[in-house]
Amino acid sequence: MYFLEQLINGICQGSIYALMAIGYAVIYGVVGLVTFTYGEIIMMGSFSAFYYFIAFGNNLWMALIAGFITAALVGVVVHKVCYQRFLDAPRYISLICTIGMSMFLKNLATILFGSEMKGMPTFFGGKFISIGTIRVGYLQLIIIAVVIILTVLLTIYLKKTRMGMRLRAVSQDKKAAALVGINVKTTTLIGNCIGCGLGGVAGILLGVYYNSVLPTMGGMAGLKAFSAMVLGGLGSIVGSAISGVIIGVVENLGIALTSSGLRDVFAFVLLVLILFIRPQGLFGKKGN
Amino acid sequence: MLKIENLVVNYGYISALRGISLEIEENEIITLIGGNGAGKTTTLMSISNLVKKTAGEIVFNGTDISKMDPDKIVRLGIAHVPEGRNIFKKLTVEENLIIGTITEKNLPRKEIHSRCEEMFTLFPRLKERRKKSGGSLSGGEQQMLAIARGMMLRPKLLMLDEPSLGLAPIIVEEIFELMNRVKQGGMTILLIEQNAMLALEVADRGYVLQNGEIVLSGTGRELLNNPEVKKAYLGI
Repeated sequence: MYFLEQLINGICQGSIYALMAIGYAVIYGVVGLVTFTYGEIIMMGSFSAFYYFIAFGNNLWMALIAGFITAALVGVVVHKVCYQRFLDAPRYISLICTIGMSMFLKNLATILFGSEMKGMPTFFGGKFISIGTIRVGYLQLIIIAVVIILTVLLTIYLKKTRMGMRLRAVSQDKKAAALVGINVKTTTLIGNCIGCGLGGVAGILLGVYYNSVLPTMGGMAGLKAFSAMVLGGLGSIVGSAISGVIIGVVENLGIALTSSGLRDVFAFVLLVLILFIRPQGLFGKKGN
Repeated sequence: MLKIENLVVNYGYISALRGISLEIEENEIITLIGGNGAGKTTTLMSISNLVKKTAGEIVFNGTDISKMDPDKIVRLGIAHVPEGRNIFKKLTVEENLIIGTITEKNLPRKEIHSRCEEMFTLFPRLKERRKKSGGSLSGGEQQMLAIARGMMLRPKLLMLDEPSLGLAPIIVEEIFELMNRVKQGGMTILLIEQNAMLALEVADRGYVLQNGEIVLSGTGRELLNNPEVKKAYLGI
């Protein structure tokens, strides 16, 4: 039974990773670059919810919206500072700039919010549903539901709307996109904001699930998001989502077998092993 | 319709265009011929503003487009079908066509649909593959798709960069036949070709580029009969 509960725990945590990875994949797609600021975006989303709860009470739904908006706004800043100024410069300049931005945001958060860990409120009073002897928390179900809903919404947005079509076009070929009359700069900005917004929401879910927020929480979260995206095949949204869940499950089953100190070991060993066998990722195509 | 004056483009220390001037009238087929590195593609890229210009002016229907954003230039009615067929490989054939109309915000679905059907009549082969992804098409089909995508915009000026590159002779013929039909529909075409013979046969006028300069110009027939052109580009 312990294993089954760990499995559910893993799926729940994995779905948070999945959401982070999806946001990362959207950014990677439109910007065409790996970003190192993503973890801090996740952290910023989480803190915005923390202060939202203090200021306006414990409304999870409104906090999720506030977190999305805050993270998207930070995304605008990242875009202006790291990408837009270096459009004609070599690509690695933007990449290095995101490292600097990450350090800046982390330290800014430490100064503004303090370096100590802060507690998030408990939602749904810790209630759970019992199926036989297995307990599934309300919060866990809500988290999984939020992630599924956002993934479906994003997919519809990308597949069915004109803006979504622009985003997909820019992700595939920037030159061709410009030649059919798409404003590549604006589209990249919007894609970056959506990706960051999803990261912010994921940050809130992470904070609420563990009942804590911390200015340095972004480092590991960003790495997990990155790992899930790479594992899924760079930039593939479906692949990122599934890989996120896989990482979550493997981590928690691994913990169940050994000890919780080895949590991150499982995630990254899995990444290295799979890339060793399939360098293109689980769902990537060769040569892409 | 389109006027280029004294256009200079440098790539680092290398000058790709050393001050070219040319003019395109409405409903003409104009061709630029010349060897590799003569500056043909750079000329088209400059019109679309995808490369930085060192000097020069490009005017389209009275509007200076030298410093306009690429997407705004498309909106004025200039469609650029690039070399190497930059189609969207992960979008379906139909989506590739629809995206050609993305600049026209309020275009009704019906109109988009009828334009797609029009393209499918021009290129029946694309119709068979409408639900397939762009990347799964053969080279010739991708070229057709790239041209069709450009035409979805109903452009005033259609710029084709090496449409025959790497294609089977039968398909090349098809594409050139199509150009004549499109011209009869009132479109203006700026064509770049390595296959000078074919290009000059279909063109009203042509310019010969060499090392970033225009060395000759004239009607298609004149150039076909010009001894220098014959020797350098037609291999006769």
